[in-house]
Amino acid sequence: MSVGLPLSEDDLHAFADNQLPAERAQEIAAVLAREPALAGRVAEIKRQNALLRDALDPWLAEALPHKLLHASSHPPARSAWQRLRAPLAVAATLVIGVALGWYGREEMLRRDGTPISFSRQAALTHALYAADVNRPVEMWASDEQRLVTWLSKRINFPLRAPDLNGLGYSLVGGRLVAGNEKPAALFMYENADKQRISLLVRRDDVASHETAFRYAREDGVSVFYWIDDACGYAISGRVDKAQLLAIARVVYGQLAAFEAAQSQRP
Amino acid sequence: MSHRGAAGIAEGVWLPDKLPDALPNPDLVAALPRLRRYARVLTGDVHRADDLVQDTLARAWEKRQLWQAGSDLRAWLFTIMHNVYVNQFSMRQREYAQASLDADEGPAAGWEIPVRATQSDRVELAEVFEQIERLPVAQREVLILAAVEELRYEEIGDVLGVPIGTVMSRLSRAREKLKRMNADSASPLKVVK
Repeated sequence: MSVGLPLSEDDLHAFADNQLPAERAQEIAAVLAREPALAGRVAEIKRQNALLRDALDPWLAEALPHKLLHASSHPPARSAWQRLRAPLAVAATLVIGVALGWYGREEMLRRDGTPISFSRQAALTHALYAADVNRPVEMWASDEQRLVTWLSKRINFPLRAPDLNGLGYSLVGGRLVAGNEKPAALFMYENADKQRISLLVRRDDVASHETAFRYAREDGVSVFYWIDDACGYAISGRVDKAQLLAIARVVYGQLAAFEAAQSQRP
Repeated sequence: MSHRGAAGIAEGVWLPDKLPDALPNPDLVAALPRLRRYARVLTGDVHRADDLVQDTLARAWEKRQLWQAGSDLRAWLFTIMHNVYVNQFSMRQREYAQASLDADEGPAAGWEIPVRATQSDRVELAEVFEQIERLPVAQREVLILAAVEELRYEEIGDVLGVPIGTVMSRLSRAREKLKRMNADSASPLKVVK
């Protein structure tokens, strides 16, 4: 009978929560019959459970608000524009692509340089400013609200500096940087080892397809980038791929939550 | 891609592979009261809780291809809610830090304690809410999922994305803390606020 002894802390919880197979539960019940101290602890847990349920169960009977009933019956509202946006973007991209290809070829040949890819831009920007010990940013994080407002205004998109404190990176500040055609916003972060990473946000005119995370390595700088309908995001740093991906995921998650919160607003 | 009937609410709920665009979904509606309750426990505020439920539902619709037929819909929704909450919370942490100065409400002010309770019940319930609120969110979540929602410990680990050992230690700490709070409040020397 008592082969399973001694009882662990986990056993007591599992027994009180009715999570054990019948056989094990019987063994424990037998032990508890002999051990009043242990039985008292189980009784205390059960009493707490009952108290919690008594306190919280009445909520279940409340009438449900209409907005939640609606939200459980309909996918999040997409406007006619949103439904058309993807096919339109494809069409527009094709038209623009063909037009640019045709009319732009002379111009392209004449120019010295061509527009650089987003990942390359992110890596170059990171390399340039992260190396600047004293002045990596134009505006420091001490004035985060002003920084965010200013950058949002300049790139004409509501920005948010993700909070990476949980990963050991604190916000240093930000700056406006030159993009291919329009300015882009750069947020710089730093950890305790003075390792810096940066987030580059570029506003796109034409809503592009969403992309999965893409990875690139340019001149020793790792870059994860993705495009989320109105913006391109790139997170860059001289850290390894796995570490950077973890950071990129957190950034992506926070931005998605922020976007969801924005779109909830009427 | 099995097509199963709508009878699954009790024993492991389902979402069809493809949901029509606007049809009341009985399973989601059935899960609503518990989602609202969990959201209240997370946020400590009825209004923010309903916003959280709404965000969670929107996310669930978006992610509905990821739903695995045959698993518990409620646990899946709790998982989404936990993630949405964690993301939003870390975004807002700074704001909270700055915004807490003008909050002159007492503890548990946002809970809206159920009205049906009698006067003496209300005192005890208020105490329970206050005690829950004083637990760290991580412990609160485990406690509610185990004690009130009666999820299996493994399921709780899946919902919160932590190993079962972490579930057990949080549960144990939460219960220990509740016990101590209770002991304190039962003492005759308790200071009346």
